[in-house]
Amino acid sequence: MSQPSDTSEELLSRILAGEAPAFAEVVRLQQRSVYSLALRMLGDRQKAEDLAQEVFLQLHRNLATIESGRHLQFWLRKVTANRAIDRLRRESRVETLPLEAADGVADEGSDADPILRRRLRALVARLPPAPRAVVLLRYQEDLDPTDIARALNMSIHTVKSHLKRSLAALRRGIEAAAQDEVRSPT
Amino acid sequence: MSNDLDASLRAALRPVDPGEALTQKVLAAIEQDTAPQPGPPPTRQSGWRWASVALTVALLVGLGTAHQWQLRRQERGLEARRQLIEALQVTSAKLDVAYRVVNDEENTENGS
Repeated sequence: MSQPSDTSEELLSRILAGEAPAFAEVVRLQQRSVYSLALRMLGDRQKAEDLAQEVFLQLHRNLATIESGRHLQFWLRKVTANRAIDRLRRESRVETLPLEAADGVADEGSDADPILRRRLRALVARLPPAPRAVVLLRYQEDLDPTDIARALNMSIHTVKSHLKRSLAALRRGIEAAAQDEVRSPT
Repeated sequence: MSNDLDASLRAALRPVDPGEALTQKVLAAIEQDTAPQPGPPPTRQSGWRWASVALTVALLVGLGTAHQWQLRRQERGLEARRQLIEALQVTSAKLDVAYRVVNDEENTENGS
């Protein structure tokens, strides 16, 4: 899991006992994941914050159904991804997102090329909602295909197919961008 | 190439921290959600309640009064009937006595 600090069972039992500070701690631990998923799905900071708020509110109302810390993390990713897909479908923003929207995420110290990272985020933002959610759950949240299938209510075959096609599209996009760079006069 | 792309994707899609502002926003929304909801204005609801209670009481009192009045009327009717029967019985008895007297006198005269 890419999450730096998992929600412990002890923390979960404190939440279930009605301790408000414990829930605040869970929000602090999990908001990175929820917000980043929402932001990269919706391509808008305000919409991502609103979605994250709705997801945590729904979690608070459904705390009794949460069985473990691991279940809580899975539940948050599942609900965030599905709500984002539903919202995009409702808003008919299926085709593309503005480049700058997808690129609005600040880079946090990484060895990779910042231009490549920006380009990859822009290409991911152009994927249709369901394949985009699959790619984000795989490469941002580090879920395996079986968990992605459960979260998005898809068959494992569909998940693998989305991953394969999306990676091919991303590779083509990177190669096309590289060729443009070569052609463009410097 | 595939491994490079995987690694680049993971680096590009590293989660970002929205900051404490989002935490506070979420907690405020939860606090608002769990706060007790204000009920409907009490005056209007209790006003309607009192009106319906008053109407029911007035109706019951009216029905009771009407029933009592009807009973008294029946009793007065029965008393009047009883008195009339008694008066008729007395009159009948007196007439019977008078008839006997007249009849006895006639018999006496015819016999003598």
